[in-house]
Amino acid sequence: MTLALLLLALGTFLLRFLPWRAEKGLRAGQAGPALVVALFLVSAFGPPPSSEWLRALLALLGTYIGARLTGNLGLAVFLGAGLYGLLGLL
Amino acid sequence: MKRGLRAAWPIALGYFPVAVAFGALGAQAGLSPLWVQLTSLLVFAGASQFALVGLLAQGVPPLLAALLGLLLNLRHAFYGPALRPYLRGGPLEAFFLTDEVFAVALRALPGLPPGERRGYFLGLGLGAYLSWNLGTALGVLGAQGLLAFPGLGEALSFALPALFFLLALPHLKNPVALLAGGVALGFHLLGQTAWGLFLAGVTGLLGEGFGERRRP
Repeated sequence: MTLALLLLALGTFLLRFLPWRAEKGLRAGQAGPALVVALFLVSAFGPPPSSEWLRALLALLGTYIGARLTGNLGLAVFLGAGLYGLLGLL
Repeated sequence: MKRGLRAAWPIALGYFPVAVAFGALGAQAGLSPLWVQLTSLLVFAGASQFALVGLLAQGVPPLLAALLGLLLNLRHAFYGPALRPYLRGGPLEAFFLTDEVFAVALRALPGLPPGERRGYFLGLGLGAYLSWNLGTALGVLGAQGLLAFPGLGEALSFALPALFFLLALPHLKNPVALLAGGVALGFHLLGQTAWGLFLAGVTGLLGEGFGERRRP
């Protein structure tokens, strides 16, 4: 079991390190923006589509307003998360 | 580094409850506390850690469980090349390269003087790492009751989606990014999130190639 843990740790590290280090390796293209948008969508909207999506959308709206009002990423995240928690209590 | 550490707190906020849940899952699966903690200390990749522990608990052979965990992390291969124009990756930087650290760094690094980028990145990664490991330790020790306060666990679980949303906002007019997001969401709804994210990265690569061919 410890061998499996070490294999996962080493493999994950190499997946992160080698493409980054390679001088003539993988070109990123638009993979950065593509992955950020993809990470957002899969983290905010869990399957299957449900009323939870509306709750998430409202909390994202709160996050956006928080970001516009404060200009602070961390504070906006805090506000959005708080709103999401409150909406779950309704 | 201090600047990176300060920037890490939204990530830390989101990591903490997930890490507590991971620690609790490992303890409930009958794994030794030391082994569960070592997983967070050495792997530092949430989804694959959950997969490893979950599969081992179901009796899947350990090496197969590790390989399946690695498949979940294939998308990480895209992160370094995307950051390469702003920061050269060393072993320590690569170790800290999670989804969230990547997304925050991609936004912040271009605006920093080159001499400050490495320190910022390491601070960002260290903040995330400390939160992940503290949460794991508390979960292993049975502290998941901390999250039982009404609404608190759910609120914290939304910190990472909210963070990703703010980081994605500048890219929502990019058609390649939107297509990639659609691909990822489609696979996610089919229960194949890891493949969806990997294909989103491939879509980003192909999108760049398409653009290059159309240039005069």
